Amino acid sequence: MAIGFVLMVGAIGAGLAGLATTGLNSRNNLETVRNREYAADGAIEEAITQVRGYACTPAITSLVDTSIDSTGIRVDWSSTCPFVTASDETRYLQRNVIFSACESTVAVCDPTKAIIQAQVNFEPATGAVTKTFIQSWSVKR
Amino acid sequence: MRARGDVGETLIEVLFTIVIVSLTVASLLSSLGTVSRAGAAHRSGVQADVVMRNYAEATKAAVQQQCVGGASTFTVVYQQPDGFAVTGAATGSACPITTAVPLTPLQLKVTDPQGRQLTMFIKLRTP
Repeated sequence: MAIGFVLMVGAIGAGLAGLATTGLNSRNNLETVRNREYAADGAIEEAITQVRGYACTPAITSLVDTSIDSTGIRVDWSSTCPFVTASDETRYLQRNVIFSACESTVAVCDPTKAIIQAQVNFEPATGAVTKTFIQSWSVKR
Repeated sequence: MRARGDVGETLIEVLFTIVIVSLTVASLLSSLGTVSRAGAAHRSGVQADVVMRNYAEATKAAVQQQCVGGASTFTVVYQQPDGFAVTGAATGSACPITTAVPLTPLQLKVTDPQGRQLTMFIKLRTP
């Protein structure tokens, strides 16, 4: 009976300690994930600002931003400039760019493993951009 | 001296048992208190995370909505929950320049009711 009592008290103590530890760990994980998401978000904002100045075929298609997250975020992007037809039958060039942000430990950001993927339209497609349209902004992990 | 055939416990045995059980119950209650405080801290941390995310989104939305049509300043409108304090972009902050790279990170701070402070950086872009 005495051994049972000791075991019961030990089990309860271990359970309580585990509960407290899990809570602390999950809070730290939450903070890490949030900081990583917003670092990726900031890196894509940085990339959008850079791409404003490029033409349909950009000279550079990636950047690594270490200004928010010390490990760094890598953003890769691909552009297309198709002719689209507006509702009034006017045809014009539309510059569509898809950005993918990953941790900078990878050589190239695979869109399927991206932290954030965003599709942005730049208007006009050539020359000085006056507007950007966010078509999608997906936080993937 | 206990006579042969007597049953029961001596006073010292009973006292010893009471002391051990008391110590055990006291330590369990203390552990429960610690876990309760850890739970409260965890809940507060999760709430602070939500406040930080909402404040960051409110800041980004303020720039997206107000820095258009030649406007040069923006003001973040965000009402934090009771007990929380937030600091970030000042009222009437300058809109980011559209062509300026690299963008300057903005530091956001959230202080929870227990005084614990969270910080995070975001980047703002004029649309």
